[in-house]
Amino acid sequence: MITIDDVKKLAKLSRLEFTDEEAAKFVGELEATLKQVDAINKVDVSKIDLIEDTINADTDLRRDEIIPSLTSSEIVANAPEREDGAFLVPVTVAEE
Amino acid sequence: MSWKTVIGLEVHSELNTKTKCFCGCKNEFGDKPNTNCCPVCTAMPGALPVLNRDAVERAILMGLAVGCKINNYSVFERKNYFYPDLAKAYQISQLEYPLCLGGGLEIEVDGVKKFIRLNRIHLEEDAGKLIHTSHGSLVDYNRGGVPLIEIVSEPDMNSAEEAVAYLEKLRSTLLYVGVSDCKMQEGSIRFDVNISVNREGEPLGTRTELKNLNSFKAVLRAIKYESARQIEELEAGRPIIQETRRWDDEKGKTYTMRTKEDSQDYRYFPDPDLIPLNVTDKYIESIRQKLPKLAPERKKEYISLGLTEQDATLLTNEREYADFFEAVLRELNEPKFVCNWITAEVFKKLNALEVDDRKITLNPALLAKMLKLYKDGEINQAGARKIFDIMWNDLTANPEKLVNELGLKQMNDTNELRAVLERIVNDNPKAVSELKAGNEKTMAFFVGQAMKATQGKANPKLVADIVRELIK
Amino acid sequence: MKYLDLSLSEVLDLLNAGKVSSVELVTECFDRINETSDLNALNSTYKDEAIKRAREIDERRKNGESVGALAGIPIVLKDNINYLGTKTTCASKFLENFVSPYSATCAERLHAADAIVIGKANMDEFAMGSSNENSAFGAVKNPVDNTRVPGGSSGGSACTVAARQCFAALGTDTGGSIREPSSFCGVVGIKPTYGRVSRYGVVAFASSLDQVGPITRTVRDNAMMLNVISGADEHDMTSSRVSVPDFTSKLEAGVKGIKIGVAKQFFTDALSGEVRNALDKAIEWYKNAGAEIVEIDLPSLVTALAVYYVISSAEAASNLARFDGVKYGRRAPEYTDIVDLYFKSRTQGFGAEVKRRIMLGNYVLSSGYYDAFYRKAKRVQKVIRNEFNEAFKLCDVLISPTTATTAFKLGEKANDCVAMYLTDIFTVPINIAGVPALSMPCGKDANGLPIGMQIIAKHFDEETIYQVANAFETAHKEDK
Repeated sequence: MITIDDVKKLAKLSRLEFTDEEAAKFVGELEATLKQVDAINKVDVSKIDLIEDTINADTDLRRDEIIPSLTSSEIVANAPEREDGAFLVPVTVAEE
Repeated sequence: MSWKTVIGLEVHSELNTKTKCFCGCKNEFGDKPNTNCCPVCTAMPGALPVLNRDAVERAILMGLAVGCKINNYSVFERKNYFYPDLAKAYQISQLEYPLCLGGGLEIEVDGVKKFIRLNRIHLEEDAGKLIHTSHGSLVDYNRGGVPLIEIVSEPDMNSAEEAVAYLEKLRSTLLYVGVSDCKMQEGSIRFDVNISVNREGEPLGTRTELKNLNSFKAVLRAIKYESARQIEELEAGRPIIQETRRWDDEKGKTYTMRTKEDSQDYRYFPDPDLIPLNVTDKYIESIRQKLPKLAPERKKEYISLGLTEQDATLLTNEREYADFFEAVLRELNEPKFVCNWITAEVFKKLNALEVDDRKITLNPALLAKMLKLYKDGEINQAGARKIFDIMWNDLTANPEKLVNELGLKQMNDTNELRAVLERIVNDNPKAVSELKAGNEKTMAFFVGQAMKATQGKANPKLVADIVRELIK
Repeated sequence: MKYLDLSLSEVLDLLNAGKVSSVELVTECFDRINETSDLNALNSTYKDEAIKRAREIDERRKNGESVGALAGIPIVLKDNINYLGTKTTCASKFLENFVSPYSATCAERLHAADAIVIGKANMDEFAMGSSNENSAFGAVKNPVDNTRVPGGSSGGSACTVAARQCFAALGTDTGGSIREPSSFCGVVGIKPTYGRVSRYGVVAFASSLDQVGPITRTVRDNAMMLNVISGADEHDMTSSRVSVPDFTSKLEAGVKGIKIGVAKQFFTDALSGEVRNALDKAIEWYKNAGAEIVEIDLPSLVTALAVYYVISSAEAASNLARFDGVKYGRRAPEYTDIVDLYFKSRTQGFGAEVKRRIMLGNYVLSSGYYDAFYRKAKRVQKVIRNEFNEAFKLCDVLISPTTATTAFKLGEKANDCVAMYLTDIFTVPINIAGVPALSMPCGKDANGLPIGMQIIAKHFDEETIYQVANAFETAHKEDK
C-alpha cells in the first residue's frame, strides 16, 4: 500500500514537487507499477548470488597519466549563472 | 560509578596520485576555479568515470601497511545526495565490498600501549569546494573527484588523548607509506569523530558524530567538550540524541547539524558505470613488495646500530626524519653522533614551526659534511651550531667555506694554546687550587676563559689536557 | 533519380565511383527534411556546416586522398548523443539550451569515418517512453501513417531513416528503444551486445542496460554502421575488449544449418493475429531455406519487465540527479535558497514520465525497500541471463516478434503508463540479458503498417544476427 505520505517523502528524496492532485494520481500509478514489479517475487533466486563479473585491478584500469582538462570557460559555458570561471549558486552553508 | 567515553574515528585522506580518481584531470587544487576539470568531474551529461589504477594501488598499500585483509572482490557504489559541491549528485564510494578490511595500529599514551582495531579502508572521491561571497556561493570542482581513502576505526579509544595518539600514528603511517601528503591546513586529511559515553559496566550509550575536524587540536578539544556535554546531559536526566554535530573551533562548542530523523537516505547501490574489481593475490603481493620499510622495522635497525630505544622512537616517528637520518648516515657512518645532532638541533628547529610546515629541507650530504668537521675536531660545538644556523636558512651553504669565512677553525695548536693557558692559570690561583682539590667543575671555568681568549676557537678537549698538565 | 531511395551501401559505391557528390546527397536530405517537416523527426539540423563538410570530403575524395569508411554519408544522431558544439537536449525542457562541450565516442567515431552529421533526432524525454509522445518538443509521427506513433524512445531516429531524410541514424536502446520504433517504422535497428558500443558521451538513462545502435534501411547498412561505432573505449569501463569482426563478412553466408530457436514465451496471447501470421511465415521461410527450427524454453522471460522497471528506474533516478540547475540546463527563474532551486528547477524541467521513473527509482532504492526490490531484481536478472545462455547452447539465434502489435494511434496509450510499459514486453528481456538483438521488417498488416521481427543472438554474436537477417531481407526485397 502506497500512501500520499510515501509519495511526498519520495518527492522530497527526488527533489521534485507535486501538487496534491498529482501526488494522488501518482499513488495509483506507483501501485499499478509495483503490482507489475511483484513478478520478481515469483522467481526462485535462492541459489543466485550477487557476485558480478569483474575486471582486473592490475591490468584493466586507467594509468595515472594526466589528460589535458577543458578550460574553465568551457566548463561553465552552459552554467545558468557563473562568475570568474565558477558556478554561482545561492549562498549555501556547509552541510556535508 | 565513573563514566567511560567510547570513541571511533573516520579519517579521510586524499591520495597523492597524479590524476583524479575517475578522470585524467590533474589532482591539484588551489589553482583557479574549474581549471583542472573535464566533463567527467563536472558531471556533464553522458560522461563516465574511469578508475585510476594508482588510486586503487595506494589504498591497498595503506591497507597492507596497517595489516588489513585486502578483498579480492571490491565494488564501487553510489552514495546519492544533493549538494552543490557534488557534481553528479552522488559520490562514488564503497560500502559492501571495500578494498581493505580489518587491521589496526598500536598507540602509546603515558607509557601504556594499546591496539586500535580498524574496521575498513575504502576508496572514494572528494567533493568540490564552495567559495562564499556576499551575493552567493561559487562552486569550484578542481577538488571534485580527487581520490580519498576513508579509514574507519573500531570504537576502541577511550580518551581524547588516545584519539589524538591514534591520529598521529595514522598520519605518520600515511606519510611512511607515501600515499598522502596529510596537509591538515589544506584539508587533505580530515577527521570525523563518533563519540558516546556510558557508565562503567553498562552498555554503550547513544553516539553523536562530530564532522569534518581538521586539526589534532580540534579533535582533542571537541572530544573533551562533547564527552563532558554528554555526561552532563545524562546526569541531568536528559537522553543523548543520535545526531551529527558541528564543532565550532572559535567558540569551543559543538552544535546540532542534523538529527537522525532528518538524516539522509543515501540510497547506496553498485555503480553500474564501474565494473567490480578483481584484486588477485598475485597483484596484492606485488603491491606488498612496494611497501617501504615502516617505523617498527626501522626502529629495530636503529637500536641495533647502538641508538637508545627513545632516540630510535624519536627518529622513526615520521618517515621524513628516518629518511633524513639514513641519508646523513650514508655520508657519515656515526649513528649515535648523527642521531644526537638530529634529535637535539634539527628537532629544535622543527618544533619552532607549525605542524604542517615541519619539513626538513636541509641537504643531508651538506649536513654530514658539517658534522664530520665537528666530529674531527675541525670546529667545536659552538662553531657547529653557528654553521648549522646558517645552513638551516641557506640550503646551499657550504660548511667548509663557512668555517673559513667565519674563522671558526678550532685552535688545535698545543703550543699556541699552552701560551694562552699559562697566562690564565697564573691569573687565577684560586681556581687552580680548587681544581687541585678535586673540584672538577672548575675545569669549565678554564675552558670558558680559554674560549674567551681565542674567540671560541679553542679545542675544549685540548684545553682540559693542557690545564691538567700545567697545574701538576 | 532520388538518391535517398538507395541504401547507404549503394550511395557509398556511387560516391566512391564519383557518380554523386556528398554535397548533392546532403542537399537532397535537407530538401526531404523540409518536405516532411510535419513528422517532427528532428530537434536540430546543421545545414551550413553539413554542406561545408560535404564539400571538404568531396574535395578530398576527388584529390585521391584517403577518406573514412562512411565518407560523405549524411546521418542523424539521437538527441541524447553529445556532438561537440551542437545542442544535446534529450528532448527535455531541462536541457533545451545545452551545448555539448565534448563528443560521444560513437559520434567521434562516425565523424572520424567522415560521415556527416546533419541533425539530431527527436526522442522521448531522456529516452523514457515507447511512443515518442514524451518529447518536450512535441510528438514524432509515424511516416507510414502520420496518425500513429513511430514508437520510442528513438522514434525520431527511426522516423528520419524511414522517411528518407538521411541514410542512417543512431538510436539508444535501454528496453527496446531502437527495436520498437524500428519495428513500427519498418526499418532495421540493432541493439548490440551490452559493452559492444561505448556509452561515453551518451546521456545515461539506465547505465547497465543502455546501448547505442544504428537504425538503417537495410541489414547491410546496419552492419556497416556498427563496424564504425563498435569496440573498446578507454573512456567507458563497461565497453568490451572483445574483438570486433567485420560485421558485413558473413552477410551472404545464408542460413543453411543455422539453428533458429523459437520460445513460446514470445508468442503469447498478446500477439495480434497479423503479427503472429507474419512471424509464422518468416519462420516457415527459414525452415525452407535450410535452417533448423528448435523449440526453446525461457520460463522467466515474463518477469523481465518487472526486473527492468526496478533496475532501470533505480539507475535513472541516480543518473538524472545531476540535473540540478547548478552546472547547466534549466534553473528556475525564482527560488528562495539552494534546496528550493533544486526542487523548482527539476520540477519545471522534467516531464511527467521522467518524474514517474525517478520516483519509482528512489522508491526501490530507499532504505527498507532496497533488498526487496533492487537486490531481488538483480538476482532475477541473473536467472534470466542464465536462461538465455542455456538457450544459446541449443540454437544460434532466437526469433520473436519485436512488438505484439503494429504502431498504435497517437494518444492511444498516453494516459495509461502500464499499457505503455507492456509495449516493451518482448524487447526488454534482451537488455536484461545483455545480448544483441535486431529488429527488421517481416511484412505488413492490413493497414499497411510494418511488422517487426526480432533476431536475438548470444553475447557478441551480432555477426550471426546479420547473417540470418540478410538472408531474409534478400529473399523478400520485392515485398517492400
